[in-house]
Amino acid sequence: MEISIRTNGKVTIIDLAGNLIIGKSEESLRTTVTQLIAEDRLMLLLNLADVPTIDSSGIGAMIKSFTSVKAVNGKLKVLKPSRMAHQLLSVTGLLSVLETFEDEKTAISSF
Amino acid sequence: MWVWLEFHRSFQDSSLFIRHFMNKSAQLKIINRFGVTRFLPLNKTVFSIGRKAENDLQLLSDTVSRQHAEIVYENDTFYLVDVGSKRGTYVNDQRIERCALHHQDRLRIGGDDEQQIIFLDDSVENASAIFNSSPNLTLSSPSRDRAPITSANEELQKLARFVEVNQAFKFSMTPDDVLCLIVDAAIEITRAERGFLMLLNTEGNLEFKVARDRNRNWILGNEFEMSRSVVEESFKQNRSVIINDSKITMAGMPRDSVRNLDLRAIACIPLRRFQMTENMDATTILKRDVIGVLYVDSNVSGETLTQTSLKLLESLAFEATKSLESVRLMHEEAEKKNLELELGMAREVQIALSPSAIKAMEHFEVAASSVPSRYVGGDFYDLIPMKDGRFVFALGDVSGKGVAAALLAAMAQGALQVQFASNHSLTEVITSVNRVLAQRSESNRFITLFCAVLDRDGQLTYINAGHNLPILTRTTGETEKLTTRSVLLGAFDFVEYKSRQTRLNSGDVVVMYTDGVTEAVNSDNEMFGEDRLEELIQRNVTLSAEQIKQSILDEVISFTRGLPQGDDITLIVLKMKS
Repeated sequence: MEISIRTNGKVTIIDLAGNLIIGKSEESLRTTVTQLIAEDRLMLLLNLADVPTIDSSGIGAMIKSFTSVKAVNGKLKVLKPSRMAHQLLSVTGLLSVLETFEDEKTAISSF
Repeated sequence: MWVWLEFHRSFQDSSLFIRHFMNKSAQLKIINRFGVTRFLPLNKTVFSIGRKAENDLQLLSDTVSRQHAEIVYENDTFYLVDVGSKRGTYVNDQRIERCALHHQDRLRIGGDDEQQIIFLDDSVENASAIFNSSPNLTLSSPSRDRAPITSANEELQKLARFVEVNQAFKFSMTPDDVLCLIVDAAIEITRAERGFLMLLNTEGNLEFKVARDRNRNWILGNEFEMSRSVVEESFKQNRSVIINDSKITMAGMPRDSVRNLDLRAIACIPLRRFQMTENMDATTILKRDVIGVLYVDSNVSGETLTQTSLKLLESLAFEATKSLESVRLMHEEAEKKNLELELGMAREVQIALSPSAIKAMEHFEVAASSVPSRYVGGDFYDLIPMKDGRFVFALGDVSGKGVAAALLAAMAQGALQVQFASNHSLTEVITSVNRVLAQRSESNRFITLFCAVLDRDGQLTYINAGHNLPILTRTTGETEKLTTRSVLLGAFDFVEYKSRQTRLNSGDVVVMYTDGVTEAVNSDNEMFGEDRLEELIQRNVTLSAEQIKQSILDEVISFTRGLPQGDDITLIVLKMKS
């Protein structure tokens, strides 16, 4: 899994490419978010456009990331989950907590 | 948690119990081909002998069956019993099936002539010190006055003994310990200054595992000044390389790398994989499979490496990979045993907490079961009658598998029982259980839960916290999925859970299930799926709760035919009586 970071205005976008599943990928997402928080970058948009599969560990990493950003009064939102990811977020009830967007512009302006 | 502790205690007691009941003591004296003797106490009522690692005495000869023989203690006598070996069991050269053992009897297991095994009855010979020959765990202390090379043979013997003793007593020797011993022995044999051992890592590169000097100290650092060309030559060509006083004994060796390092003598031996598998009757070496190299060098002039020491080094490398493999297998085996023991206990905890599966009440019937997969997962369910006549159904799934998941499931189940017992409302119960789970620090585990309360007149109040949607099937054939779109438990402590209600009429069926049902996969990699489940229930809606449950389990088994169950399968079927 590849993680790249870019900024759009005040928002930091985390682009993920690959599956977000148990092992290195979920760990590196959590490390990345911890690092961003340390750099005081607290408005985060997690881009899932290139993430075909998420498993329960991946969901766990997203939840941990969300709660650690929230704990320092920051925000983490989700961009373009795949159909399968969207279904998983829906079944687990996470859509009620994680704000999800289909369009980057709308997502950026929501912060 | 108390259940867990009880299990642990009774497990320990039972092993003490066995020992107290042995009035006599005896031991095996084992002398290997190097003439090294060790003693194994027969401290169990059944002492097993064979080629498999689980045996109390493991013999690696291919003439020994995997489970070959047992020494059984009965009526104050030790008997040697053949347990169906291929090549037979012998006492004083007589083939036996079952034979009482007497002091000084000679045992032979199959055609194994690697060692002599002698039975010693402690009451005859007072072998007061069983561990008299317990291993001296360090090799001989190094000195500047080098011993003659014949002492190298002793070093080999010591290494062989060390590994054997470790196998026999199951000391916690790690593969790294073995590697370290190998390098020390190699330095000793060759009288080199330094020794290195490199193994292939998963990326296909040689990686330093051990770097030692002649005083048995670690050489610190990640990179070392050494002849890369010699290492590469030995590794790629799969052959031993030996260089004395920079006089190259192999064609095509670049001289410079050796000269620049001012090294007078270098030896490098490839380490070949030594494979032992369950199915093979003989151990097999795959010649081409080089897994690393053993390298020693010296910059002291006059310290030359001879062909004799090279031969010794090669046999050391052979013993080394063999020991390494058996130690690795031993560790794997021990870990597997631990895991199985833990999983066994976790399963006991789950069973202890499971409600009796079938309950018939005045106005409804219910059937439930949980089929754990090979590795206990985190599925759980509960059926809790409340004092006021209402009835609670709970079905959950903890993320992850194994003991931690099973214990968290048990904890959640306990919390639900306590909360409902004090007559809190469904929303209060779920909100507070969630808060408790979420506030446990650092854990990365979550629970999806469906929880419903049925009152006497068929009103079903439920919360679905991130769980698969239960299917309500009416007698009319209509279906309804029970969702409240609530978030899974243990993730966020700020969530307030809200319930929904639906009325159940006579004959209506509610099937609650975990993803082990719908995500069961067949050999075409196709999932069982919700649609198949929904149709199946519709077809069987007139059957009893128990029959519906059974039909679903049967259908899942016939769907996945031949494939092992990947996840726990848990089901609750509720049916309103007419």
